[in-house]
Amino acid sequence: MTARQYVVAEFAAEEPLLAAARALRGQGHAELDLHSPVPLHGADEALGLKRSIVPRIALVLGVTGAATGYLMQVGMAAIDWPLNVGGRPPHSAPAFIPVTFELGILFAALGIFLGLFKLWGMPRLHHPVFEVEAFRSASVDGLWLSAAVEAGQVRAVAAQLQALGARQVEIVEDAP
Amino acid sequence: MSGRPAAAALADPLEPVPVLVGRPDDRALTASLTGPVFGPTRKGWLILISVLLVGMGFWILSLVTTLVVGIGAWGNNIPVAWAFDITNFVWWIGIGHAGTLISAILLLFQQKWRTSINRFAEAMTLFAVAMAGLYPIIHLGRPWLFWWLMPYPSTNQIWPNFKSALPWDVFAISTYATVSFLFWFLGLIPDLATLRDTAPTRTKRLVYGLFAFGWRGSARHWHHYRIGYLLLAGLGTPLVVSVHTIVSFDFAISQLPGWHTTIFPPYFVAGAIFSGFAMVVSLMIPARKLMGLEQVITMKHLDNMVKVILATGLMVTYGYVMEHFMAWYSGSDAEAFAFLNRWTGPYAPIWYMQLCCNVLAPQVFWFPSMRRNLVVMFVVSVLVNVGMWAERFVIIAVSLHRDFIPASWGMYSPTWVDWGLLFGSMCTFGVLFMLFLRFVPAVPIAELKELRRELEHHDAQAGHAASTGHGGHGAEARP
Amino acid sequence: MPPLSLPIHGQPAPHRGPEQRWRSLAEAAGSADPAAGSYPDGDEAAPDSFGRRSFMQLLGASAALAGLSACKPPREKVVSYVRRPAGVTPSLPGFYASALSRGGHAVGVLVETHEGRPTKIEGNPGQAASLGAAGLHELASILDLYDPSRLAGVRRDGRPLAWSAFLQEAAGLAAAHEKDGGARLRLLAEPTSSPALADQRARLLARFPRARVHAWDPLAEDAARVGARLAFGRPLEAAYQLEGADVILSLDADFLASEGDHLRNARAFASRRTQAGMNRLYQAEAGYSVTGGAADHRLRMRAGEVLPFARAVAAALAAHHGLPALAALGAAAAGELGRTAAAVAKDLYSARGRGLVLVGRRQPAALHALAAVVNAALGNTGVTVVWREPALLDPLAGVAGLSALARELAAGQVDTLIVTAWNPAYTAPADLGLAALLGKVPNLVYLASREDETSQVAGTVVAAAHPLESWGDLRGRDGTASIVQPLLAPLAESVTELDLLSAFTGQGHLGAWRLVRDGWKARTGEAGFDQAWDGWLAAGVVAGTARPPVAVAVDAAAVAAALAAAPVPPAGLEACFAPDDKALDGRFADNAWLQELPHPVSKLTWDNAAFLSPATARRLGLADGDVVALSLRGRTVDAPVLIQPGHADESVTLPLGYGRTQAGPAGAGIGFAAGALRHAAAPWIDGGLELRKTGRRHALARTQEHFSMEGRAIALGYDVGALPHAAHELDEHRGEQATILPAVDYSKEEYRWGMAIDLSRCTGCGACTLACQAENNIPIVGKEQVLKSREMHWLRVDRYYEGTPADPTSVSQPLACVHCESAPCEYVCPVNATVHSDEGLNEMVYNRCVGTRYCSNNCAYKVRRFNYLDYRGTMAPVSKMLQNPDVTVRARGVMEKCSYCVQRIERVRIGARSQGEKVGGDAVVSACQQACSAEAIVFGNLNDPASRVARLQQDERRYDLLHELGTRPRTAYLVRLRNPNPELA
Repeated sequence: MTARQYVVAEFAAEEPLLAAARALRGQGHAELDLHSPVPLHGADEALGLKRSIVPRIALVLGVTGAATGYLMQVGMAAIDWPLNVGGRPPHSAPAFIPVTFELGILFAALGIFLGLFKLWGMPRLHHPVFEVEAFRSASVDGLWLSAAVEAGQVRAVAAQLQALGARQVEIVEDAP
Repeated sequence: MSGRPAAAALADPLEPVPVLVGRPDDRALTASLTGPVFGPTRKGWLILISVLLVGMGFWILSLVTTLVVGIGAWGNNIPVAWAFDITNFVWWIGIGHAGTLISAILLLFQQKWRTSINRFAEAMTLFAVAMAGLYPIIHLGRPWLFWWLMPYPSTNQIWPNFKSALPWDVFAISTYATVSFLFWFLGLIPDLATLRDTAPTRTKRLVYGLFAFGWRGSARHWHHYRIGYLLLAGLGTPLVVSVHTIVSFDFAISQLPGWHTTIFPPYFVAGAIFSGFAMVVSLMIPARKLMGLEQVITMKHLDNMVKVILATGLMVTYGYVMEHFMAWYSGSDAEAFAFLNRWTGPYAPIWYMQLCCNVLAPQVFWFPSMRRNLVVMFVVSVLVNVGMWAERFVIIAVSLHRDFIPASWGMYSPTWVDWGLLFGSMCTFGVLFMLFLRFVPAVPIAELKELRRELEHHDAQAGHAASTGHGGHGAEARP
Repeated sequence: MPPLSLPIHGQPAPHRGPEQRWRSLAEAAGSADPAAGSYPDGDEAAPDSFGRRSFMQLLGASAALAGLSACKPPREKVVSYVRRPAGVTPSLPGFYASALSRGGHAVGVLVETHEGRPTKIEGNPGQAASLGAAGLHELASILDLYDPSRLAGVRRDGRPLAWSAFLQEAAGLAAAHEKDGGARLRLLAEPTSSPALADQRARLLARFPRARVHAWDPLAEDAARVGARLAFGRPLEAAYQLEGADVILSLDADFLASEGDHLRNARAFASRRTQAGMNRLYQAEAGYSVTGGAADHRLRMRAGEVLPFARAVAAALAAHHGLPALAALGAAAAGELGRTAAAVAKDLYSARGRGLVLVGRRQPAALHALAAVVNAALGNTGVTVVWREPALLDPLAGVAGLSALARELAAGQVDTLIVTAWNPAYTAPADLGLAALLGKVPNLVYLASREDETSQVAGTVVAAAHPLESWGDLRGRDGTASIVQPLLAPLAESVTELDLLSAFTGQGHLGAWRLVRDGWKARTGEAGFDQAWDGWLAAGVVAGTARPPVAVAVDAAAVAAALAAAPVPPAGLEACFAPDDKALDGRFADNAWLQELPHPVSKLTWDNAAFLSPATARRLGLADGDVVALSLRGRTVDAPVLIQPGHADESVTLPLGYGRTQAGPAGAGIGFAAGALRHAAAPWIDGGLELRKTGRRHALARTQEHFSMEGRAIALGYDVGALPHAAHELDEHRGEQATILPAVDYSKEEYRWGMAIDLSRCTGCGACTLACQAENNIPIVGKEQVLKSREMHWLRVDRYYEGTPADPTSVSQPLACVHCESAPCEYVCPVNATVHSDEGLNEMVYNRCVGTRYCSNNCAYKVRRFNYLDYRGTMAPVSKMLQNPDVTVRARGVMEKCSYCVQRIERVRIGARSQGEKVGGDAVVSACQQACSAEAIVFGNLNDPASRVARLQQDERRYDLLHELGTRPRTAYLVRLRNPNPELA
């Protein structure tokens, strides 16, 4: 494929930023992204993001963990080697509840955390947008828009962003 | 001033005192909150940590003695086979509950005042759990075999006994430690990115960049981040309750008078929150001064926290009362004696200390003036932690030293190693905390920026409603 | 950190381990090759294959001792106990019968050996003084055998001397003394019943007609013998038949523990403590003795008041019950004492012919005589008490003889003094100043097993062999002889008293075996001697040597005269000297097992103390552990006080046997030397004791701190009359309980092990605890650890007082793991280290235990013990030979507890299996059960309805300890019964 380039633009306020995002998306630019120190209201709609699947990951893994916990205990205490422990029945469900619960939580939590990293594509220590020195303000107070576009369209997009009120626009080569 | 009541009501009828003093912009916030990290090392910090390091040395000495000589180096015996070891464990794990509670539950209830203090509390949780987790291991007669409590296919094919509460503990504590860490770290990622981007030197930028894992504040990140963070909070809340419930099972499943009580789970959880909030307060009051965080950690936070201390203190008191009622109602000699022994036995002074610290001391917080007095709040919160340690000692050692068969009664007295493991662990905890204050923003920057936006939103509404009042309120809010 | 340095028995003392001593000695002996020198005349007199083989094995075991190159097997044949369990099978123990001396009398024992290595001493069922039971000192003496601090070889003026060289010197010395007929030769010996020693002394006196033998025993029973002489004209020996006694009046006689024949007496007494035909015991005493704890009426009085009380009883018998013979002897007493005496007299009279009056060794001869007359008058003589010629060569071994010797020493009339009596420098009454006098004797030859106060002043010290290393013979009190046979060759060069004496009779080359054997051959004749000899060794007794009872006629007039002259109760604070229940006269002070054994009554370990009553303590403003200066007749000793409930007021009990200055690591510097206050004029009971508070405190390590039951149902007791009505009450402490969990069903199992403990029989002596310690390799932890309540005894004996602190009754309760079927300890163990066996044993898996100690926390009986430190690390190599190879030695950080002697169960099971049989219901005997003289503990198979334990658990007295907890213990208790006299209730 032809080399793509990144256009990053900083905006002074949220409204023009979101407007610009909507505009570019309207023109069919898919690889848009917004960068801000805090979550922006309306960013999801502007970028047309679908509902997050993190809750489903959590649910599935939580159930798996709980099942694992209970079956493990039954297998160890009642099936593999049932012992006479103080005259208690080898399979005593009430005693197995705590471990079952804890394992459910543990699996779900790990699922959420690792799931997030997977969805974020993290860890990714270097990213083209970091090439822009000014972009460092994105985690302080800057509002940025980044768009990955065909080499040919770079100039047009940059100009358009300028028109949409970007405070500054930079172009970054994406290492193929 | 005429419009003020209306304005206040509109601004936030329940929060006359602001949770954020002033409306600093993002850059200013960033500067002030990263200040402690990038600023020069302060003298007070250096002195404090070096003192704590000495205590940590004492702790290490006690640990080595315990491992080399055996737990015979302690005062434990038969009948008092558990004493300082498990007392310290329960005390620390209890303290370790406030963090997750503040972050998780307050987040679920969308309490604004949570924001400035949650990281602080979470860090405290992590370090407290680290301290707590040590005791169940070193208190073993053969600590090098602690992993036999894990379910693994051993050569002699024996599995752990899941009818015992101790393996439950293993799972609960390790789960709690893991989830607390993930929760804390997830909240930290955006701020690590901020640190990366504002780092004065290349090294710092590299290090923080490494831990930021490449966070770009992207809308696609925030999109999953918020739901994920909320879900972890949702899991953390039942978890934190379950953990101390299970810790209380360590005692409740036994048949020992003073342990064998159905009220233990709620009573222990309340006690954990009680001591946890107390520890947050006693750490925060000096820290906010030391780190100059008065404008983000305001009197409002402290006021709310001591209110929680008062409430949980009353719950704990209710626990004490019910224990005694049950002892009487059970009609069992041994049961009744176990509680009579607290009042009249050889360890009665510790019991009275417990009552003074846990029941009487928090009552001062009924008075608003006391809730504005930093010294009082600090002293009482420290007292509460002393009292909660005493409570665990009374429950564990004092119940053990006189049980069913009078001929087997005995006394317990700690050795220097016991004291070393108690005070040493406090110092080690302190060291970890000082490092946290120095190298990580103690207050979540990104969340605070969000909070400011919400507040500005409020102010704006208030402004529309009563322009005069806005100013008035604003003036009110800025001392 | 000081608390961690353990004074554990057997800490190697480098300068005096037998090894080095032995080697250097062999070199000193000048023999180029020690090994060669060690087999002077080889093994030509070849013993039969078994004996030899066992001793070759033993040689192997002994070789474990570094440098024991000269340790040799005895050349003589020994024969193993006839009913041994497959004695020669490796890994199975062999049992050998022998006898230990107590006060010169035989106590028959069976010694368990593993591959020639003695590991445990048990009682010999065939011997009258033991009847299969063993006392504290029999059980503990095995520890002395392996004591690294034992002496080795001969030492003259601090330098080692070869035995052969010593023999030459002795011969020279003897020749010198022969000139004047041994006028300046003396022997200070212990009273003994040994026929072989009798022969040897005869030879000695034959060679040295003018020499003299003095007998000395600090615990001598002179008063009893003199009393008998007063009453009958002869110093006869009384033997009690308690099984026939309905009413017993014990005048300061601790006949269940510290008096002679206590094992036999306890067995007989206990046989009458059940609801069927229960006896009644009146115990008149000052201190609280084991017997006092078992009494129905403990008549608390100063030791000096016992005689007046006895005379009041006699007077009452004469006055109200028409026994004029006693009129002259009695002396009516007023007030409470008189009323009690009248009631006791009435009881004794109503049980005439079935009653018994017995008197303790501390009481004056006149009282012994009075008792003899009263027994005769009541027709008890010949029924509950029979009289025999004493078995001792020296019936009188008290202060009189020793004083005579002291006078001779002071006058410089003695050149050579052979001391075989134990440590006279320490045991002699202080006023004799014997230690100094002994130092002046030109040739003092002292036979000792350890360094002690006397060995310090003796010019020549000869190492004494342990009884388990010795040939010899002894008689029981009834005259029945036992052969003492060695179980192994001396671990370090040492000889017996026979060997030492023979060195002076020119028979030093013979050796004890020959002397003993020849003596018996001479007595019984050649015919069939060898078989007979083997039989005696095998059975542990020489059949048909018992002495017949003699008919007696009392001389009331002489007794009356003696009573008239009897000493009046001494004025002022009374000092009562008593043999310590554990250290006796001090010869067991070096025994760490006994030091750590809780005192039967006070539960004191690693110490003795001055016992006094609460009232006296209050008057003097004293508390437990206060150190006081005791002054008597101008001598002063500092001692800690211990307040003993039930002790007589204005009287102080001073246990002998402590405060040793020269002793092994376990015994030195422990307790106070009561003996240093003892005066020849009043060696037992003295007056005018002064007690001054020093303000110092002394930590007393007691294993029990709380002696009240707090009104809980723990050790239950009933008056025998009330028992039939107690069933309803007892049902609350036994039977099934409502439970959510269905109980595990063990009824289908072949074996369901269980135990029954009869509180009515138990005297609380503590022998079970020691037997358990020996059987199960239980470590000694030392005083510091006991103070931290970390003692390791699996089986403890709790004592509770009921009634007023001034005059309480007491009940003792042996308590080990009760093997709950619903064991609280098991379900809390995170690693399944303690679980249940199919037969219902609560098993402790040492190598799985990680040491959370939760099991102990959840044990309602607190019978689990934890290895807080490495209590084994400091064990000397020689002490390791003591370990029972069938029982794991536990490591640091591991929990342990009573296993119901699972190793014994398995041993019997394997034996039965090899025969294709089922284990009998009573076939398995636990160590504690075996040692118990009162037969209070019974173990067995509950699924065998015919077994004793099964029947006992059906007894109307059965109850379960802490039954309300639903733990379903396998050990059941039988309530304590009392039989009080309604007139005194």
